[in-house]
Parts: sequence; structure tokens; C-alpha cells
Amino acid sequence: MRRLPWIPIVAVGLIVLAALAAPYVGLADPVAMDVAHRLAAPSAAHPLGQDEYGRDVLSRLIWGARTSLGIAFAAAAIACVVGTILGLVGGYVRGVAELLAVRSMDVVLCFPPLLLALLVVTLMGPGASTLIPVLAIVYLPSFTRVAYAGVLSVRGHEYVTAMKVLGAGRLRIMTRTILPNIAGPVLVQFSLAAASAVVLESGLSFLGLGVVPPAPSWGLMIGAARGTMVQAPLLLLWPCLALTVTILAMNSLCDGLRDVLDPHPAARRASWFSRFRRIAAPVVPEPAEPGTVLDVRGLTVAIGDPGDGKLAVRDVSFHVREGETLAIVGESGSGKSLMSLSAIGMVPAGVEVSGGTATMEGKDLLALPAAELRKLLGDRMAMIFQDPGSSLNPVHRVGSQIAEAIRAHRPVSRRAAMTQAVTLLRNVGIPDPERRAKAFPHELSGGMRQRVMIAMAIANGPRLLVADEPTTALDVTIQAQVLDLLASLKRDGGLGLLFITHSLPVVAEIADRVAVMYAGEILEEGPTAEIFADPRHPYTAALLRSAPKDDGPAPEGIPGTVPVPGDLPAGCVFAPRCDKRIDTCVKTRPPLFDIGPGRASRCIRWASL
Amino acid sequence: MTNGLSMTNSLIEGRNMSRSFHGGGFFRRGRSIQAVSDVSISLSRGEAVGLVGESGSGKSTIGRLMLGLMDLSAGRITFDGDDLATLDDKRRRALRRRMQMVFQDPYSSLDPRRTVGSQVEDGLAIHNIVPKDKRRERVAELLGRVGLEPHHADRTPRQFSGGQRQRVAIARALATDPDFLVADEPVSALDVSVQAQVMALLADLRSRLGLAMLFISHDLPVVRHLCDRVVVLYLGRVMEEGPVEAVFSAPHHPYTRALLSAAPSLHAASRRERVVLRGEPPSPANPPSGCVFRTRCPSAIDACAGVVPVLEARGDPAHRVACIRHDIG
Repeated sequence: MRRLPWIPIVAVGLIVLAALAAPYVGLADPVAMDVAHRLAAPSAAHPLGQDEYGRDVLSRLIWGARTSLGIAFAAAAIACVVGTILGLVGGYVRGVAELLAVRSMDVVLCFPPLLLALLVVTLMGPGASTLIPVLAIVYLPSFTRVAYAGVLSVRGHEYVTAMKVLGAGRLRIMTRTILPNIAGPVLVQFSLAAASAVVLESGLSFLGLGVVPPAPSWGLMIGAARGTMVQAPLLLLWPCLALTVTILAMNSLCDGLRDVLDPHPAARRASWFSRFRRIAAPVVPEPAEPGTVLDVRGLTVAIGDPGDGKLAVRDVSFHVREGETLAIVGESGSGKSLMSLSAIGMVPAGVEVSGGTATMEGKDLLALPAAELRKLLGDRMAMIFQDPGSSLNPVHRVGSQIAEAIRAHRPVSRRAAMTQAVTLLRNVGIPDPERRAKAFPHELSGGMRQRVMIAMAIANGPRLLVADEPTTALDVTIQAQVLDLLASLKRDGGLGLLFITHSLPVVAEIADRVAVMYAGEILEEGPTAEIFADPRHPYTAALLRSAPKDDGPAPEGIPGTVPVPGDLPAGCVFAPRCDKRIDTCVKTRPPLFDIGPGRASRCIRWASL
Repeated sequence: MTNGLSMTNSLIEGRNMSRSFHGGGFFRRGRSIQAVSDVSISLSRGEAVGLVGESGSGKSTIGRLMLGLMDLSAGRITFDGDDLATLDDKRRRALRRRMQMVFQDPYSSLDPRRTVGSQVEDGLAIHNIVPKDKRRERVAELLGRVGLEPHHADRTPRQFSGGQRQRVAIARALATDPDFLVADEPVSALDVSVQAQVMALLADLRSRLGLAMLFISHDLPVVRHLCDRVVVLYLGRVMEEGPVEAVFSAPHHPYTRALLSAAPSLHAASRRERVVLRGEPPSPANPPSGCVFRTRCPSAIDACAGVVPVLEARGDPAHRVACIRHDIG
């Protein structure tokens, strides 16, 4: 739960309390005139002075709050209830109800609010009893709109369908399932409407169309003080100040509420690749053996404050060679994506690299300034993601997006870049590439979009391609095509491929070597065929047993869950779920044992498995 | 029993189901899309049928049709003898109790703002199955049945992992004591270690409660482990159907073969010859004439464009294939 916005809550609370307590705190009569002391300066009896009829200003201010807030809250409450019902019914029942509830609000919206209020007040005469319904009508459309938009987004969720499957009636679904899920925005809208109703009430009263004198109201006070502005400027100050402070408090309450009710954490709103920093002093990397594209050593990544010891990735070392695919496999929460992104310098917000080196072409990617890294990205190394739909720009044609990627790193003309783009589209197996280059991303299927992403990634002939679950969102026949394409790129172009996936069968298809990740550590590493035939870590073995096979025994699950960073077991990270566990496993964390050519395991019992 | 489909003891029977969607807006009638064409599926008590196919094959639509969440454009669905289309609202709601659904994404199928206990309780309350004071007890029992603890009832979905959420969703579906369960990709969004646990749970519930289960999935090995029969769909039409062992070990239809060989396998090296299909499924708004698969079929001949192939038995009367090329099976 996020922290509540206490300061605005207390401020609004105090204002409301003052308004409610007005009759009981021994204030002077707000309408009692004392013409002899008109426009008197502040005194002990009248702390804020007296107005043009000698009435006590403090008393009128607080009684005025009572009037203003009373009218504003009543109007906002009526608008909130009626508007939410209209929005709910319009959004959920649809059809004629939608037409009546939502479109009628559009008509109300067509009138400027002040004009609408003027019209009604002129017809019905001023006074609080007219103001409340008038203001309610003015704010009704905004509530209907907010509720309607909320319903439209919530009704598509499967939990609403689940209620239908259970046999729930419309009323039950609307009140029990949809209403609680749109309550957040409606509540925020309420405080917004109440604040703005206070202003509108003051404005109408100022114009003489709202509260009828001599009853106290901030708008009336401002109006009256305007006449005596030269003699007693302070009289103008007090109601204006009261109005400003009230609106400020209510608006910041609004903002605070929105942050509390919004389920997305604020920190994550920052851009994914916004920050780049390393705490530990750079280590001079040992020269990598020739043919190595990326050499990562001792990579450690901390989440949040590094002092907390929440290390999401701990001491990970691996390398990718030319023309080779290294698969990083692991369950969700194993840190595989975080580790791979950090290894090429793309450190997500809220995360810090606290140790290690990642060498590519003699440069440590973790120590490079952001500008240098940008030059490498898209040129010497490239990435493809799981969802090609969200990584392509929807308003540009795919051909020109590829051309831009080329022109960002190469001094070629637009025309030449376009020609190259078409060639690239042909190379990734897109039929009729001249025509498809002119298509927008939404005109292509998921498989086509992923091919476009691959074309863009290989446009500048990178040495390293990082692929994060690139086939997970694709159908199995399309997945086979994309895997074939990646394999041929690797074979023909001498590309090093770092392939992140949770699927063991996909690893078996594409990877030369595999690193099994769990809770931020590599538990086993080696050639794919050897590891799948003869796993030397109980976790690898358990993962293999849990994958459904074409034939053979039914898959077995692994009981328990992946531990979270900051709450890791003292010994081996897999020990709590391990069926081969012995006492030593629980006590000390094992190192990565070298168990043969190119193979490593982090299990003390690797030899006896 | 006249053929493999209409068994006398079937619980739910969909005959010649078709469903089309109309494109275009309010004023303009667009081209209509045939999502499901002439599909017949029936399930008897305790039977699990797998529905496989790629996106756009109409498998989710069939699940929703058979639950009565969507109306048929043509055809007929009977549940325990009652025609779903002719039922009045009251009886249809009462029937809801007997047919339930488990969704793919346990993050979207549970209401994030209510405790899991109250969500499991919904079904009990709606149909007034258990008196109010006994409901908590029953919720605890349901949670126990799916491998959760009674005290989990007071938590919100946020506090659970994906696998635990899917267990909650299954408990919610079981609350009304259903006879028929549609599981729409229930393990696809889960990690492989958790996937196996949820599969085992579904298999166990099916055999203990005698549930008829329509299992929608794109993952063929999962279907093989959980189902008795399998129906292979392409562009809304049945390509092949039959007992899982027969279909998986001796697929007749070129599409089934391609699907089986495209699925990545742990033993990639020792695998049978791979058929990689060219291109992508055609648009359902403009399907090919004749056999809808012919545009991607490695065995297509000229005659395939002329006739719509009918489902015919090959050997085993329950194993039926819609392909005119008898010579390749």
C-alpha cells in the first residue's frame, strides 16, 4: 500500500471541520451589522476586521466556507451518484441505454458550464436550492464519462466473463464486480468536481446569481470587497486566500488519491533504459579469447538501494562466441531478462550494476558513457523482443523504420537505405517485400512483425543479437519459421546470438550452449545436447521432467516457488525445493564447479547425480 | 451409435456449429468473417476433449459457444437433452451452474480488488447452493481441493503467484459442482514447473469428479497428456479428429503433421522430418475455396481447390480426417 497523502488530507479535514463547527465555536453573528465600525481594521474582538456593513469578517469567512463547501459537496455528490449510474448502465448494457446515458451527456457538454448555470439561475431565481442542482448538472457529464470509460476497459477483463459464466445477473456484475474496479477514477473525479464547484459557486455568487445576501459566501464577499478595494484591500485578501487554500488542498488531495489508487508503481513509469550507472570501480578485463563476441564476468545487479543487499543477479559469468547461440533459460523471476539487458548496458530504471564487466570488441559495456553505448546499439549489437507489436512505431511504414535504423549509423542516402530495407525484408523471408515495405505495422501479422523486427536488428550487420523470448507470442508453425530464420542468420552471418527463453524445447531447437538461471545465479552451464542428456544439477533435471514430452511419462512439477531477491536461502538457492538436498546444502552457498570441458554446475553433489 | 460423434450418452453435444462475425460499423455492413464452420463436438461425462489449432482457428469461439456465452449462427447445442437456444433466461441461468470455465490468464480472470474467498464464494451465493453460514466452510474445502490452505481465503489475488491464482480460478469454477468445464489455455501462461502441477490437478479433478472437459490449447504435448480425444482446427473447420494416441502417433491430415512437427521438441536431433509450413494462415474474411488449408499444404493438388473435403473415418471409425488425398495417409 502506498503512503496516503496526509498533508492534503489534514488540510481539507481542517477546512471541512471549521465549516461544520461554525455554529458551535462562539463566532460573532455573521449577519449582525455594526455600521458604526464599517471597514474597521483587525482588532481583538474582530481578528480579521469588519466589512462594509461592520460584520465580522472571520465569522463570515467560516460561515461562508459552510455555504460554499456545502453546496459544492452536495452538487458533486449528486453528480457523482447519478453520473456513475448512467456511465455504468450505458457502458455495461450498451445499446439504447448507451445512447441515452452517454450521448445525452454529450449534449450537456456542448453548453459552456457558466452559460448553462446562468441560464438555469435566471429562469429559476438565485439561491442555494437552485445552485445545487445546477452545479450537479454541470458536473454530471464528467462523472458519466469517467464511469463509462472505466466500464469499457473493465468489462473486457476475463473476471467479468467469469462472473457471467457463474450465472451472475447484470445488476450483480455491475455493482459487485465493475463498480469497485472503477471506484478509483470516480473518487478522484469527485474531489476534482467538488473543488471546481467551490470556484463556480463563488463565481456565480460574485455575479449575484448564487447565494442571496446577506447570507455569507466567499463569492459574495469578494464581490462586496471589490467595491471598497481602495479603502480596505485586506477585505479582498481574506476570501481570496480562503478560496485559494481550499482549492489547492483539494487538488493536491486529488493527486495524492490518484497515486494511491493507481495500481502501477510510480517508479516504474520512468523510461526502461533511462539510467546507467555503476557503483563499483571498473575492473580492467582480461583479454577475451579470439572469436568471442561478448564476454561477461562477475556481473552483479542490485535492485533498489544497493545497501539493502537485494541482489537480483549475483556473480554471473558467460560468453557468446561468433556463430554460436547461447540460451539463457529460467522460470519467471529467475532474473534472466534483467541479467541479459544489464549485460549489454541497458540497465532498467531502479536497478544498478554493482559489479562485473561485459566486454565487447575490447570495450567494457558497463563502463561506457551513454553516448558511446548508443553508437554500439543497433550497430554492433541489436535486440529483438517478445512483442513486436509494441516495439515498432505504429505511425511509420515498416520500410522507412528499417531505413532509419540504417541511417542512424551509416552515412547513406534515404533512397539507398530504402533499397537496403527492401533487400533485408526479402532476406528475412517476407514475400513481396517492395509492397510490404510500404505497410504500417498494424497491417502485418504477428509473425511478419517479428520478421520486420529481425530485419531491423540485422540491418547494420551486428556481431551480437540479443533475443528476449522472440517466439513466445507466436503460433507454433510461425515459431518454427522464425527459429529457422534465426538459425540461418547465425550460420551465415557469424552472428553471436544470446537467446532468452523459458521454453526448454525451444532451447533444444536453437541453442548450442545453455545456461540455466535460477534466483539470479547460473546453476548449470554447458553444451545443450550434453546438458539435456545428462543434467548435473537437480534443478535442470527437475525442469526437464516438468516439460511435457511427445511420449513418455506425464510431466512432474517442481513444488514451491522461486525465492525473491532480498529473501534468499542461506545455502544453495535451490535447496528448499530440491529433492537431493543434504545438510550442507542448506548451510553454505556452493560455488560454480568446473565439471568437464565447457560444463559447470553449482551443485555439491554433481558427481553423484 | 451411428458414428464417432453422436454418442447416446453424451452430456453436451454441439452439432454443425457455425458462427460468423460481421465486420464494419453501425451504418456500414462490412464483410462477414466465418469464425467457426460446421463443427460438431460432443462430450460424455468424464471425457476430456482437446481442441487444438493456431490463433484464428476458432477454438476459443467454440468454447464460448458451447458455454452459451455466444449465440450460434447455425447449428444446435444440447446439454443433457436441453437445446441451449430455446431455453428461457431463468433456465439458462440455472444451467450455468453445471458448466464452468477456466481462463488462460490468471492475472486477468480474478478480480484484483476482492479476496479470493469471496470470489470462490460467488458461485455458491448466486445459485444459493449452500446456506450463508456454511459458505466459509465450503470455500475452505474448495481451496483445499485445489491444494491451497483455508486461510488463503482472506488474501487478494495480488498476494499469489501465477500458479496459485490459476488454482483459485479452478476452485471458483468448481464451486457450483459443474458437470462440464471449458479450460481455455489454462496452463499456457504458467511456468513449466507450475504447468505440470496444474495439469496434474486438472487430470485428478476430472477423474475424481467425472467432469467433462473441453481443453483448448495450442500446446500439443499438453493435450496428449490430458485428453482422450483431440479435434484439430484450421480456420474454423475440423481437419482431423480422433483418439489422442491415434492422431498423435499416426496423423493423417497434412496440417496435423505440420503442427506436430513444428512443435519444438526436447529431442530435436532424433526428431522425425520437419515440415515447415510456408506463409501464414489466410484471412478468415476471405478463405480459400475448397479445402481451406490448401494454400499452405505441402500435398495440395488441383482438385483441392474444387471440393470442400468432408470428415471421413480412416480405419478406426472414431479417427476421422477431412482430406481428399487418401493416398498420402
